Amino acid sequence: MRDRDYLGEFEHIIILALLRLEDRAYGVTVRQEIELRTDREVSIGAVYATLDRLERKGYVASHRGDPTPERGGRSKRFFRITADGVKAVRRTHRALESMTEGLGLVRSYA
Amino acid sequence: MTTEAHFVQPPRIAVWLISLFALAEDAESILGDLLEEFSLLASKSGVAAARGWYWRQTIKTVPRLAGFGIRTAPWLTAGAVAGGFLLRRLVGPRVTSVIFAVIERYPAFFEHHFSVYVFFASTAIDIAHLITFLLIGFVVALVARGREMVATMALGFIFGGMAVFAAVYVVTRFGDVTPLPRLAWYFSDAFAVVAAGAMVRTRRLAAKGRPSAA
Repeated sequence: MRDRDYLGEFEHIIILALLRLEDRAYGVTVRQEIELRTDREVSIGAVYATLDRLERKGYVASHRGDPTPERGGRSKRFFRITADGVKAVRRTHRALESMTEGLGLVRSYA
Repeated sequence: MTTEAHFVQPPRIAVWLISLFALAEDAESILGDLLEEFSLLASKSGVAAARGWYWRQTIKTVPRLAGFGIRTAPWLTAGAVAGGFLLRRLVGPRVTSVIFAVIERYPAFFEHHFSVYVFFASTAIDIAHLITFLLIGFVVALVARGREMVATMALGFIFGGMAVFAAVYVVTRFGDVTPLPRLAWYFSDAFAVVAAGAMVRTRRLAAKGRPSAA
């Protein structure tokens, strides 16, 4: 695992959505959580492309649920953050805090 | 949820487009997620709004899926595209030779059927090229398993771009406008490559036993 790998902006948002949703995180809930909290329209393709990338990096793991009738007999794919994912989000937060420390950004833009 | 909304289906073409571009492991969950939200939206805001939402999601999702497909298998995609390009270089010039060989083999027949000769010497060559491009598209799509659409679309854009470049060059350099009407055939050739990719992908999806429509 790359110890200096920081999360990209959308990767960061996705990981935070997974942390919020816990065991309810799948495509629909992740997309809706991001739209609700960021007020930005997100495509399901963007969510899956990012989740797949995070899974390849080892930051996220997924498993399939049971097929349901309201989904046309298709199963949900649930996602959860891994221990490496938690480390990556902490690393990113530390870097952002370090970079913003002393700039008074929150005060001046509040 | 209303009865009407419960039975309403998302746009079939949009569903088909997503199934063409999604990776096999993602297609089921993406289509399921979209159907779930579509049904909810149809019951809340009406079918028209839900269909509009589905199409917006499709238009934004397809480029993401295509880009992801290339990023996860760049060498496979590039190799298939390069192979298709070389195959065209190898086979293309022989198509016209074969047609004229047929004409030369039966001179008596073509002397008595001049209109057939004209057809063979013009349209038949174009049709033969079209079939050649379709076959090249099949080969590229068979090689680029899982990335059929991005590989054949890339090749189609290359062929289409080359045709436009050549036509513009001939017109501006020599003032000869005869290539312009032929652009329709050249674009048809490029489209044939993409159509072959869609056919192979659809066939593979059907073979997997998953319906591509919701």
